[in-house]
Amino acid sequence: MRMLERLRLMTNGLERLRGGAWARSAVVCSAFVLTSSAVVFGQWVTYPTPNVPRLANGQPDLGAPAPRQPDGRPDFVGFWQPDRQRECTPDLASKVRLAQPCKPGEKVTVQNGPASVPGGLPLQPWAAELTKKRTADLSKDDPHPRCQPDNYPRVYWLPHFSKMFFVPGELLMLNEWNAQFRQIYTDGRPLPEDPHPIYSGYSIGKWEGDTFVITTKGIRDDQWLDTAGNPITDAATMTERITRPNFGTLNLAITIDDPKAYTKPFTIDMNMKIMIDTQMIEEFCLENERDSARLFAPGAGKP
Amino acid sequence: MRARLTVAVAVASFAGLLVGAVPVMAHHSFAAEYDASKLLKLTGTVTKIEWTNPHCFFYVDVKDQDSGKIDNWAFELGNPNALLRNGWTPKSVKIGDEVTVEGTRAKDGTLLGNARSMVLTSTGQRLFAGSSQTTNP
Repeated sequence: MRMLERLRLMTNGLERLRGGAWARSAVVCSAFVLTSSAVVFGQWVTYPTPNVPRLANGQPDLGAPAPRQPDGRPDFVGFWQPDRQRECTPDLASKVRLAQPCKPGEKVTVQNGPASVPGGLPLQPWAAELTKKRTADLSKDDPHPRCQPDNYPRVYWLPHFSKMFFVPGELLMLNEWNAQFRQIYTDGRPLPEDPHPIYSGYSIGKWEGDTFVITTKGIRDDQWLDTAGNPITDAATMTERITRPNFGTLNLAITIDDPKAYTKPFTIDMNMKIMIDTQMIEEFCLENERDSARLFAPGAGKP
Repeated sequence: MRARLTVAVAVASFAGLLVGAVPVMAHHSFAAEYDASKLLKLTGTVTKIEWTNPHCFFYVDVKDQDSGKIDNWAFELGNPNALLRNGWTPKSVKIGDEVTVEGTRAKDGTLLGNARSMVLTSTGQRLFAGSSQTTNP
């Protein structure tokens, strides 16, 4: 059973591949790795997750109802990773950009983050020019590989894992990358006025039914929204509407209203999937960062 | 030790297949550092292992079978958490082991590759490399 779970864990990682054929070949490949490589039972990185609903065959029941907090609200507790696999619903095309129309019920692969916004991002002319240049430079100036702190909402579509849990007065988000934390206050405080901008911004949250709504301001200026180099600025207000439709899934509708960089608000709709039988392990980027030297070198960023 | 050095320039469709077939554990823009069309397949002896964030590095002595010259290549892999979650341990490969590494070469022409796979010669075991070749999960 544990081997099956390990396979699921690995295929989860592989689901992010572009295209079904590649994904299938990679899953076959990963199954080979699974059977041929040393298994690290006994390590916390593969230690079984407690309190997971199981099917009769012992596999995690990802479609089971979301857990509830003592007050009846949905609980987001879990270890999460961005998920590019979406179930086709009649309204999916209005939420994400699809390569082609899908049939209800089938699984489709979509881009995470800004690349999935239907119709593209409504960039201001200067921002469009900036993104064009950054992309043409092969993203060599991206702060992420320089080990800079990651910024929300970009954390949601980088391949690093996030842990979430409610504590009295807050939702906490922990990120393996550089051991980052984010605090979303639910104690009734207002957003700060004219805050000093920080990477994660300042966030407050409240419930609207079973949807948790986070409002964030005070984001640092000129952060990268994605690897392509789309900007987000200190003028941005970010609204995240988060639901947990089942045990295995978080859905996030992230609206960015940043009049400095964009002509109108836009919404990124994406899922995160739960990671079973693994634990959060520190991942400090500065330990042995070797990429900057090459990214800064003369000629870097050229095709 | 018989070692081979093959630097192959693949046709675009083949390169596309390889790009599509690697697991994703991206830390940076792969294209800024590596040339997806410069494929490497090298066999040699492991001389040093850096089991570190943000990416692991394996160093491999590769002997050119024609000239006899030995080059020490560096191979960049995924991050330790990704390798652990895919069945590696820091002891899966040891210094002195012979391995065959497939990957892509750095654009700057140095003895650096981005590993896609690593096969341990003694057992034939293929180890997940956690390539950083693709981005945006």
